Amino acid sequence: MFRMGKSDHAAIRAILAGDKEAYGALVARHSQSLFRVAFRIIGNEADAEDVVQEAFLRGYRGLEGFESRSNFGTWIYRIAVRCALDRLGSRRRNENDRVGEETEPERSQVQVADSAPGPGRLLLSGEIGAMRESAMQSLTPTERTAFVLRHMEERTTEEIGVALGIQPNAAKQAVFRAVEKLRRRLAPLRVNR
Amino acid sequence: MKHLSEEELVWRHYGESANQSEGANQSEGANQTDEHLKSCAQCAEAFEALTRDLAEIAPIDPPQREEGYGQRVWAALAPSLEPYARRKRAWLGLGLGLGRGARMRWGLVYGAALALLVAGAFYSGRQWEQQRKPPVTAVRQAPAPVKQHVVVVVLSDHLDQSERLLVELKHAEPDSPEAASALSDQARNLLVANRICRQDVTGADDPALAKALDRLDRLLAEMASQPGGLDAAALARLQDEMNSESLLFQVRVLRSGISNRRKAGKTRLNGGAI
Repeated sequence: MFRMGKSDHAAIRAILAGDKEAYGALVARHSQSLFRVAFRIIGNEADAEDVVQEAFLRGYRGLEGFESRSNFGTWIYRIAVRCALDRLGSRRRNENDRVGEETEPERSQVQVADSAPGPGRLLLSGEIGAMRESAMQSLTPTERTAFVLRHMEERTTEEIGVALGIQPNAAKQAVFRAVEKLRRRLAPLRVNR
Repeated sequence: MKHLSEEELVWRHYGESANQSEGANQSEGANQTDEHLKSCAQCAEAFEALTRDLAEIAPIDPPQREEGYGQRVWAALAPSLEPYARRKRAWLGLGLGLGRGARMRWGLVYGAALALLVAGAFYSGRQWEQQRKPPVTAVRQAPAPVKQHVVVVVLSDHLDQSERLLVELKHAEPDSPEAASALSDQARNLLVANRICRQDVTGADDPALAKALDRLDRLLAEMASQPGGLDAAALARLQDEMNSESLLFQVRVLRSGISNRRKAGKTRLNGGAI
């Protein structure tokens, strides 16, 4: 079994030399961060776990194309973002196919700042949460992913562009459109503030 | 006075310039925006409102994974991965430990040698065949690739249906007896097909596929053997079993590999190679 202490690059050299087990160390090291970003994009625990597995599978298969100058963590993170985006897209298509069916409540979650969860506000905060959830649902998969990467993962537009395979300007536009849509959708909340 | 656009405010909030330009221009743009915000109350108010709105959307905190989560992912993944050395053996150990250029040169030498070998074997075969003409063949057997293609198609459809059943099992709720009963029925139907596929892949030198079909067989048999459908306890046990073996993921991986082979087979058939 590959020792956990070795660097990512040493592990990759070992894998390419035939030591499959060395990949276990990379998987153990990067699973948590991949799960975090996958969950933030997908909003569903089971799907996020699937995305993590798929990303590591794609990563293993593409390891020969990994450039030794790059950072494995960044590289596998981008793969996970692409997997999550694909999953989001196919889920959206499936939902469109099932017109009229009720959507599952855990389908998509967006956690909102909860500064005063007093009993009197519970009903209202539930409605607000649903509204924010629906606002996030209104975004396209690219907008949602770009927004999550910028707003929650604090990635630059260059990084978002590379992760999504689009130009930085297009990434910027996607984030801006997301912000615009979210603000428009959440405008009624401002009246109550 | 020209006010700042919403886009400029958004990018100021995120600490970037609205225009995608080089570093010096970026910081110059940011400075201009800051200057404007200091002198324009209307834009400052709009910026404050934007900041407030965006602060309302707090980052999503993912549910905590257990400490051994990485090991669990690895345990699920490992059976689907082929060691790199084995792949290289398929190329006759070509260029192990060599640079890309050297590998290419050796590749060409190997390629030329193989081509000569194949041409020689073909020529000798033709000569030998003409000397020893076989008696008239009464039965013309179906070409092997056609059979292989049929197996691939059947397997691809079976894995597709199995994947759908496993997804349904994964999301099944214990308080829906109708759905649980439907799952048992589907499992019963798939069990027969699974056993046929298992027989077909035995000896096909694909241990990952054989192992996955074995696991699938066990799960389907358990699902099918519940006479009155699946009760809550059985459902929870089967879901645990499926998750602990990452069966859905394995079936997904195999299905995608098989459907690629299926596409390749179709191309060969369409191309008239048979």
